[in-house]
This record gives sequence, structure tokens and C-alpha cells, in this order.
Amino acid sequence: MQVATRMAESSVSLDTTSRNAVELIGICKTFPGGVHANKNITLRIREGEVHGLLGENGAGKTTLMNILYGLLTKDAGRIIIKGEEVELQSPQDAIVRGVGMVHQHFKLIPPLTVAENVVLGLEPILVSTKMESHLGGWSVKSVGVLSQILPVDLSAAEKRIVAIAEENGMNIDPKSKVMDLSVGQQQRVEVIKTLYRAADILILDEPTSVLTPQEVDELFVTLSKFKEQGKTIVLITHKLREPMILCDRISVLRDGELVGTVNREDTSPEQLARMMVGRSVSFTVEKPPKEPGSKVLSVTDLVVYNAQGLVAVKGVSFDVHEGEILGIAGVEGNGQTELVEGIVGLRKPKNGQVLVNGKDLTGKSPRKVRNAGVSHIPEDRHKKGLVLPFTIQENLVLGRHADVPFATGPRRMLLNLQESRRVSKDLVQTYSIKVSDVSSSAQTLSGGNQQKVVVARELAAQPKLLIAAQPTRGLDVGATEFIHQVLVGMRNAGLGVLLVSAELDEIVNLSDRIAVMFGGKIVAIRKPSDTTVEELGLLMAGHEVAGGSDER
Amino acid sequence: MTADESSAEVEVPLTTKPLSSLDLLNAKLYTWSFWKPVMWAVISIVLSLIVSAVIMLLSGYDPLLAYRTLFYGMIIQPDYALYFATPLILTGLSVALAFKCGLFNIGAEGQVYMGSMAAAIVGYAVALPIVIHPLTCLAIGAIAGGLWGFVPGLLKAYRGAHEVVTTMMLSYTAILFTQWLATYPLREPGQVQLTPQLPAILPSAAIPNVVGNYLHWGIALAIVSVFVVAFILNRTVLGYEMRAVGFNRDAAEYAGIDPRRNMALALGLSGALAGLAGAGEILGNYGRFIDHWSPGIGFDGITVAVLGRNHPWGTLLAAIFFGALRSGGTFMNAVAHVPIEMVGVIQGLIVLFVAAPRVNDWLAKSGFGYAIWVKNEPKIAVPNLAALVFGVISSVLALGYCTMKGLGGMFIGLYFLVAIVGAVSFGMTLSKYRRAPFIHVVLCMLWLLTGAVDSLYLGGVSFRTAAVMSIAGFMIAVALFWVRSKKIKEGRCQP
Amino acid sequence: MMQAIDPNLLLLGWLIRSTLEMSTPLVLAALGGMFSEKSGIVNIGLEGMMLMGAFTAAAVSWYTGNPWLGLLGGIASGGLLAVVHAVACVTFKGNQIVSGTGVILFASGFTTVMLKVVWNAQGASDPVTKIPDVYINPIKDVPILGTAFGQMSPIVYLMFVMVALSYYVLYRTPFGLRVRASGEDPSTLDTAGVNVDHVRFVAVVISGCLAGFGGSYLSISFLGFFGKLMTGGQGFIALAALIFGNWTPIGCLLAGVFFGFLNGFQNTIQILNVPELQLYLNFVKMLPYVLVVVALAGIRKSIPPKAVGTAYEKEAKA
Repeated sequence: MQVATRMAESSVSLDTTSRNAVELIGICKTFPGGVHANKNITLRIREGEVHGLLGENGAGKTTLMNILYGLLTKDAGRIIIKGEEVELQSPQDAIVRGVGMVHQHFKLIPPLTVAENVVLGLEPILVSTKMESHLGGWSVKSVGVLSQILPVDLSAAEKRIVAIAEENGMNIDPKSKVMDLSVGQQQRVEVIKTLYRAADILILDEPTSVLTPQEVDELFVTLSKFKEQGKTIVLITHKLREPMILCDRISVLRDGELVGTVNREDTSPEQLARMMVGRSVSFTVEKPPKEPGSKVLSVTDLVVYNAQGLVAVKGVSFDVHEGEILGIAGVEGNGQTELVEGIVGLRKPKNGQVLVNGKDLTGKSPRKVRNAGVSHIPEDRHKKGLVLPFTIQENLVLGRHADVPFATGPRRMLLNLQESRRVSKDLVQTYSIKVSDVSSSAQTLSGGNQQKVVVARELAAQPKLLIAAQPTRGLDVGATEFIHQVLVGMRNAGLGVLLVSAELDEIVNLSDRIAVMFGGKIVAIRKPSDTTVEELGLLMAGHEVAGGSDER
Repeated sequence: MTADESSAEVEVPLTTKPLSSLDLLNAKLYTWSFWKPVMWAVISIVLSLIVSAVIMLLSGYDPLLAYRTLFYGMIIQPDYALYFATPLILTGLSVALAFKCGLFNIGAEGQVYMGSMAAAIVGYAVALPIVIHPLTCLAIGAIAGGLWGFVPGLLKAYRGAHEVVTTMMLSYTAILFTQWLATYPLREPGQVQLTPQLPAILPSAAIPNVVGNYLHWGIALAIVSVFVVAFILNRTVLGYEMRAVGFNRDAAEYAGIDPRRNMALALGLSGALAGLAGAGEILGNYGRFIDHWSPGIGFDGITVAVLGRNHPWGTLLAAIFFGALRSGGTFMNAVAHVPIEMVGVIQGLIVLFVAAPRVNDWLAKSGFGYAIWVKNEPKIAVPNLAALVFGVISSVLALGYCTMKGLGGMFIGLYFLVAIVGAVSFGMTLSKYRRAPFIHVVLCMLWLLTGAVDSLYLGGVSFRTAAVMSIAGFMIAVALFWVRSKKIKEGRCQP
Repeated sequence: MMQAIDPNLLLLGWLIRSTLEMSTPLVLAALGGMFSEKSGIVNIGLEGMMLMGAFTAAAVSWYTGNPWLGLLGGIASGGLLAVVHAVACVTFKGNQIVSGTGVILFASGFTTVMLKVVWNAQGASDPVTKIPDVYINPIKDVPILGTAFGQMSPIVYLMFVMVALSYYVLYRTPFGLRVRASGEDPSTLDTAGVNVDHVRFVAVVISGCLAGFGGSYLSISFLGFFGKLMTGGQGFIALAALIFGNWTPIGCLLAGVFFGFLNGFQNTIQILNVPELQLYLNFVKMLPYVLVVVALAGIRKSIPPKAVGTAYEKEAKA
């Protein structure tokens, strides 16, 4: 880690009289649906520093930076860039002032070349001296309407791209198509995009989440070069390693609020983790101790690739027993989604084995998995859980609609609407789903009630194993409590429950055992009584903690 | 996510008494989701009529005369209208069914041709007893059309080939193929006409007429099909699965439904319906397969399905509407000398307007007060709008009959009075009176009835009866207005 | 020295000419379809736009006596009809297939009505002033080339120019880059600060203009009059050519020429009046359609623009 130490040595002395590159004062943002993403955040980023923005999912870091970049509009507050107060209507306003952003999900168009992607929106036709101060001579101007049909001077753009790349220690061929590049190279294209537009305030959103360790080192080299050039860098991350190595100062966000800003030298991973996850224990559910029974789910060395063809689950093993809740904690994007998909049959694992009650279900279709007694509450109820235009009744029988008693007649071709209605009414009552009639469309329900429909449906199938992925996401307190009670109720009744959640509180409250997932692997399995929230936070952020448990 | 106004988070205790179907219907009538497509269909028709009027004006035709004769012709010969509507119902169902599964079957025309060819062949080549023969022909026609739809279905399901393109390509292939069959191998021996055709079907295969020279029993088949399709969609597992796949393929797949099988079947069934349409036309109308016989019924099926919002019953109504439009068009052509293709123009405009349902939102954003009202209080505004439109249309209808029959200005004046009073009372009605929308709708139906009755006048209903009915409508409107103002005075309902 | 003209060479020359003439409307309309689809909007209403172009070109040429004005009119009317389609699909985010259907229905009815209004005719208009053919006299007696290129409509040559121009615009200009971006990933284009709706709107209008151009060729250059529904499905063959040509300008040209060749081949068979070949005429006509189905069945990889067919909704900045 020579690079890292070099960066640490070159950190700018934190002179409080140095100018602020960006000042965000009192920023508030609430999304339709009621989510308070940013609650009165005041943050000052000094010129020339590397500033880390640390927090869990939903803490509000990306939202805040999107506001700075002009992608989102703030509800309240002020933005001051380089001493100038601005109202940003679009990214263009931010770009003109030198702000550049490299997003977590690249905004690139695969079939086009690197050069074409870089110049999109800013194609080099006319050259004016608008922003001379930025790159000493190189300036660009956005194309007017009529000049859009003049030829693009791609060769000039390509030369400039190569120049920028070399200046910053990157190696890129501007004529190659983006779809032929590796992920690390694609990220470099994103960086070049910002530099091409003379950005000197760079925002990087979770840059290392898609990189191999080697690519991460190369990125660190690039960032150190930027620092030498005096650029300001904001690094959004949920991992502890990066801020501790790279950043001069670190701001921690939690639940939309700024917990605090610390200097790197004055802090430690433990302190950061504590700031990230907090001490709040919102509520506990009554959970009588229970002796776990036999193994319901047994996952061995599971390897699953994601939609982009990269390894998402890198050899995971664990068991879930009857009458226990195994909670998988972790920040989203560490392979949990693919893990669940691999188990329930939505994605074929590359390797490994999935046994349910001894039956081998590895790679089988969702229907077979379901028939083996596995129910799944999907993490995106809109995309995978409900058919929104269907009525509540139709949604409640989804999946079992072709089985007796919901289907009758010759060869079970007809729907038994009466039976569906009766069962639906019972379920609605049992789960207190607020609805005037089961014949209304599922779209009319609130988020909490929609989730209740999914839960009711899945549990009505009387499964032996329940997999709940982010079951309370987007729900209010009442609905969340209800779902928790249901989950614990199932566990008490002898079901095995696999709970996957990014909400650490939820995991700690409900689970009998906790597995932490980071980077596609299970890094630790603990009993709640044997660990602390801080330790879990550290583990979730990739920090190695001494003394792991070998328990499965 | 827009919450439906009436069934949003209401704390209604779940009673054990089941809701009667009338209550459900009434509840439905209050919901935006019911009225929105209806309203949009009506607005599209009105807008398209306006634009067509402009086109007619610029072309030197008199739009008022044209519309009068058009509407008159639409009503005066219901059997002619239904005759045109018969194949449209089936092709409309065909397109609508495919759409329910998320698929666009725009190659219905080709499936029609294949079905008609198959039926025509069985019609003349095989001798069967009297009732069995046409039924067999129809069945074979349906199967032929079904296969022709099944192929693109398979290609879409297992190869991802976009069905819009494949069905359209196969459509042209079918037309050419059947043309070849009619020109060479199966051509009627000794035939000397210019257009190639097959031998006539045997009399045992023909579908008899219901009444007059046009309408045949195929209409019964069409209406039965509406029931069947509605049944399949709403009450069978297959229909359930198809709809699930059409709405949300991921969730359906997750629930264990095989989307590929359902997509292929959906297009197959869709093709079968179109094939049935073709078969019915040959057996009931043309009596033999003639090259290029279809005036575009497959393509029109798209129009019908779009206007009927892909709902079986909506499709039925839309098909009848378009059939009436066509029969009215022939009358318009005969009397006002407007080319019958003008009907095609109107149809095309309707489709264009229906294609963009956001216009109302856009109008609302642009500050059209009425549009804003429609958006904010649909419960009142929509029936109001429907009533207005009905009122205006029936007034025009009345105008048509009056001038056609040369009746006095008094009658015209009466109609205008009714229309104006009603429009005023509705315009002023922002009432929270619970039954108001329902009554508005009833009132408008009454108006329409008056207009219809007046046309029946030609068939023998006396002038007196017609006058009485229209006066009755007028008086009801006034009475309602009086009752309402009384209630406001008593403070029982808000102004 | 007078050579005895070899009938086979004559035929070949004639075949070449016929192919080029048949392909011109197809290629032009296919290029139009390409612009639209590359930007992400499905345009199955090409047939309607071609028809409008054919009619308008004939009408303007008839009224003014100047076929070049007619050509301009044809192009403009195709573009105007495309504006309607664009408004429905881009501005109002309507259903693109339905709108395309409406375009065709409208154009079919409208042009037939206009046939009556302008010329008081049922089937075909009066002859209109044609665009004068280009004569290349020096090669008139050259065996094959003479028959092929001795006399040709200038629009055929323009077709090649349009192919080159389309290639240039699509791949070498900012506008073309934005069009391609909007068809692949509109949200990225949006983030880059470009108004996606504007780009798509213009692309659709261009497609209408090109289709109108192709249609105009039919009425004021190829035939010299406007006939009822004279495009006869060529808009759909153009669509087939676009798909078969994999949404590229060269592909449109090659596929269009190929399908044009099939058309020309049909005509040759009819002229030669060989009964055995006549029998299978229809199968030759079917070939373009069947080929597209086969291509889509995956015999060859078909790569449409990724975001085609879906309206781009600017997410409410959230």
C-alpha cells in the first residue's frame, strides 16, 4: 500500500482559512412518498481536499451529491460553489462551474466509442475562450442548433482524451467501443468525461464497488494525481477502508442527517462505524428463546454471477434451521440480491449447492422451488411481487392460482372465483389489510398494505422456509412492526426464516443468528448476544475484526 | 402512484353481507378508472369529428350536411350497421386478446385471409350435412387463423422476435399466398372474371341471413365470441396467466407462470379469432373466396380494439360504432356525395387521438379550466362531460332528422332549448349531491333516446310520441334543477 | 458498326434499371424508418407518409406545372404527417404502434378523398408533370450500361446521395450522435444535458420527410400520376428492409436494393410472359417478408436500438 501512504503524506494541511470549494447549507430533500432523504444538512468541502461521505444505504449521501450535481432539485437550502451562490436547474449548470460526477451506475452507451461517449452533449464544433482558466487554453462550447449538422471533430476530441488520460496516468483508446472495455476502464471513461469538461470538483459515487483490487489501486493512483493538481474530491462510500486511506476529512451521514465531520487523523474505524450505525435500538419484538430444529436450508459454496456477468456471490455457505431466523446483514450491492435469486430459482448458480429439507434444488425453476415449500418475499414488490393492475384478490392467489382449491373444472382450467374471494377476505382480515373490497386494484393500496398482501400470499402457501428480502423497505413504522411480528410468529411456529436486510436494527432485533455479507462473501456469523452493533457495522463496511466465529 | 379516489384508505369495517352486484356497479360508476377510458374514447371521437369537419370544409364539402347524413345513416339501418360490425367484433377481439397478454397482433389481416381460405375450401370441396357444414368450416377457419398466429407467437416466445414485425410480414405473405391459390391451383374452372376466385361454397355451408340482404347469423357468432373471450380472460386459469404475463412478466414468471407458453397461446388464440372472422365473412357474405376480398377488416380490428380499450365489451361497442360509421358512410356518400373514404379519415383520426391519452393532462396543465376540473373531481366532471357530449350529439342528430324530414323550426327550437338548459344546469352543477352523476347520465340517455325515437318516426312512430318524449326530457331537466335549488335553499346540499 | 443486340444483355441491362427504380422508394423510406427507430421511436406509419408524399407531390406538380416544387411539397407533407406522429408519441408519450396505425388509416382515407377532390377521379389522377429523366447519351449504346443507365430518373441517383448523407449525419455529426444515444439510453443523454424529446421529435420528422421523398418518387418520377393507394405496401417492405439491414444506412441500401431487385425480377417475369415462371410470381413477391421473419427468428443476429419502442419519461427528478 505504498500508494496509500504516499497519499497520506501529501495531505494538505487543514488550514481553516483555506477556501471552501463547495458549501451546502441547510439542504433538505423529501421524495414523493414521504422519504426524508436529506434533513437540513450543512456541509463544507474545502478546496483541494479529499472529502469522504460515509453512510449506509438510504443515509442520503447520493441524494445530497445529486443535488450538488444538479440532477435533483433541493426543497430547501443553499448551494455555494467556489464562493458563488447558485440555483442549479440541471447538470449543465453544475458542469459549467466545474463540478463533475462519476456515478455508481455508469452513464455510458455501450455501442458507442469512448470518444463519442465523452463528447456527448458537448460535441467539439466551435472553440471559444469561455473557460480558459480551467485548463489553460482548452475550452469547449456547447453546440448550437444549426451547428449540430456540422461534422464532429472526433479526431480533436480523441487527441484531447488521450492527453487527459496520460496526464492522469490512465491508459485508454478513444476509438474503442465502450462495450468492449472492462469495468475498470469504463470507470476511467467516466472520469475522463468529467475532466473533459474541465471539472475540478469531482464527486465519485461508490467508485470501488465494481472494481477488482488491482483496479482499486489504480484508481487510488489516479486520485492522488488529482490531488496533486489541486482538485477537490468527494468520495461517497459505505466502506471504511477508503476514507481511512484516502480522505482528509470524513463526513458521516445517517438517516438523512449529518452526524459529524471528522479529520482522518483524529478518528478510527470504530468511531466511524459507531457514527454510521448509531446506537438507536428502535423497538424490540418479543422473542422467546427457541431451540432450533433440523436444517431447513443448506447452502454450500454457492457461486452466482450477476446480470453483468460478474461474480456477485463468491462461495457462500450457511444453514437455516427450523424455528430460527438467520439474518443476513450488509449494505446493498454486496451480493445479497444475487444470493437470494440463486436460492429461489430466479438465477442459476454457477457453482455450489442449495438443499431444502435435504432436497437438492440447485438451479431449479421458481415453480419447483416454491412447490418444495419455499416462500419468498421479494425485495422489489412492484417489479417481482405484485401485478399492480390486478385486483387484491387476484394478487393473493398468484402462484397458487392453478392449484386446487383456486382452480376447478375439467383439468383445473377454470378459476374458482368464489373460493379465491373467500380466502382473500380471510387473509385481508387476518393481516389487517386496509381495503374496502378485495376487488379493487392493488395499485390503490399504500406501500405497507401492498407488502402485507405479498406477505399474506406467501405465508398462506404454508411454507417450510421463508426468505424475506428487504421486507420492510419503504414502509412506515406500523407496517414494519406488523411484518416483524409476522416473521417472529413464523419462527415461533417452527418455520425457518432467512431474513436479508440492509437495516441493521431489524437484523439485530429479529435474528437468532446474524451473518454479515460483504463483497460477495459471508465474513462472519455471530449470535446477537456475542456481538455489538459497532462490530457489525465494521464488518458490514469491510473492516476486518479479530476473532471471527466459524459457526455456520 | 395515483390512489383511486373512491377506494383509497377508507376504514370500512368488513361486513359479512356480500356487496350486491348493483352496489358494485354503482361503486364502479363512481371510479375514475372506469370512466377514464370511456371518456377518452368519447373525446377522441369528438376531436376527430372536428378535425374531419375542417378537412371537409377545406375540400369543399359541407361538414354539417355530411354529419347529418352520417349520423342519420348510422341509425336508420341498424341491420346494415351490424352487418359491417360482425367481422369487426371478431377481429377487434383478436387484437384485444393479444394485447391483454402484452402482445401486438397487427397481422390480423393475414390471419383473416388464411381462415377465410380454409373455410372456403372446406366449403366447396367437402359435402357435409346442413348444420355441420358451416360449423366445420368455421372451425377449420379458426384453426387455420390460429396456426398463422401461433407461428409469430412461438417466434416471439422462444426467439424474442418482435411480434409487430412478424405478424405484419406474415400478413402480407398470407395475402399473397391466398392470391396464388385463387389464381392457380384452386381457381374456379372456366371462370372468366378479372378477379381470381374459388368456386362457390355449397349451399349447405352458407350462413343464412337474419334479416334483409346483409346481416347474417355470423353476428350471433360474434356476440357469443365476446362472451367466450370475456370468460376466458376473467374466469379461466389461462386467461389469468395471460393477463399476468401481459401486465408484469417478471412477477408472473416469479409466480411460476411460463410466459413463453402463454404468449404463444395468446397469439394463437388471437389468430383463431381473426380466422373465424374471415371464415364467417366467406360463409355468410361473399359465398366464395375472392382474391383481396377483405376491405381491411383485420386492420380495422386494431382500430376497434384501441377504441374499446382492449376490453371485450368495449370492443363490442366500438365494433358496433365503427360498423354504424361505415353504414352511415354509405348513406353520406349517396346523399351528401362525400366519398366514403372520409370514414377512413375519421377512423384514422380517432386512432391518432386515442393513441395519446395524455392530452387531457396536457390541457389541464395548459390551464384549460374544464380540463383541470375533470382531473380534480372526476366523479362529477366526467359524467358531466359525457352528458354534455351526449346532449350535443343528440341535438345534432335531432337537427339531422328535422331537416331530413323538413319538420318545423319549433321542433329544432325545442331541442336546442333542452340542450341549453341541460348544459347550463350541468355547467353550474358542482354539487356534492350524491346521486347527481347517476342522474346526469340517465338524463342524457333520455336525450339520446329522444333523438333515436325521432328517427324511428320514419318507421311509423307518430310525431306526437316523439314530441312527448322530448318534452318529457326537457321537463325532467327543469325538475332536477328546481329540486336542486330547493335543496340548496334548505341547506341540505352545498352549492 | 451496328452490333446485333443480344436479347440477354438487353434483359440484364433492363433488370438493373428496373432494380434501381424499384429500390429507390424502398431505400428512401427505409432510411426514414432508420432515423426514427435509431432515436427510439417506432414508425410503422411509413406507408402512410409515403402515400401523403406521393399525393402531395402529384397535386403540387399538377397545380404549378413544376415537378421540383412537387417534390418539395411531397417531402414537406411527409414531414407534416410525421409531426402528428411525433406529437402523439414524443410529446404525449402515446403508444407508438397505435399512432403509426392511425397515420396509415388517416393517410389512406385522406389521399383517396383528395383524389376525388382534386381530379374528380376514383382510381387514378390525371397525368402530372414528371421530373425529367437524366439522359447519359455517351453510353447509350454500350451493351448493358446503356440500357441500364442511359435514361434514369435523377431521384435514383439522389437515393445514393441520401444514403451517404444519412451515414454522414448519423455517424459524423453531433445530431446523429444524439439520435443514436437517445435510441440506446435516453437517460444518459438526458444527464448529458440534451433534451431527448427534441432530438426524437426532429428524428421522426426527418423520417417522415424521407418517406415522403420516397413516395413522391412514385408519383412524379416513376409513374407520372397519383393512383389510389399507390404505395401498395411498399412502406412495409421498406420496414422489412430496415430490419433486414440491421438499422444501418448501408444495410438499408443493400436490403432495399435486394428487395427492389425482387420487385424488378417480378416485372421481368411478367414481361417475358413465361407461363411456368408466372406461376411462382407470388412466391417471389413473398420473399422479402419471409426473409425478415426468418432473420428475426434468429438465423442472424438482429440488433435493434436498445431503447426503441418505449417512450422516455423524464423521471420526476427523483
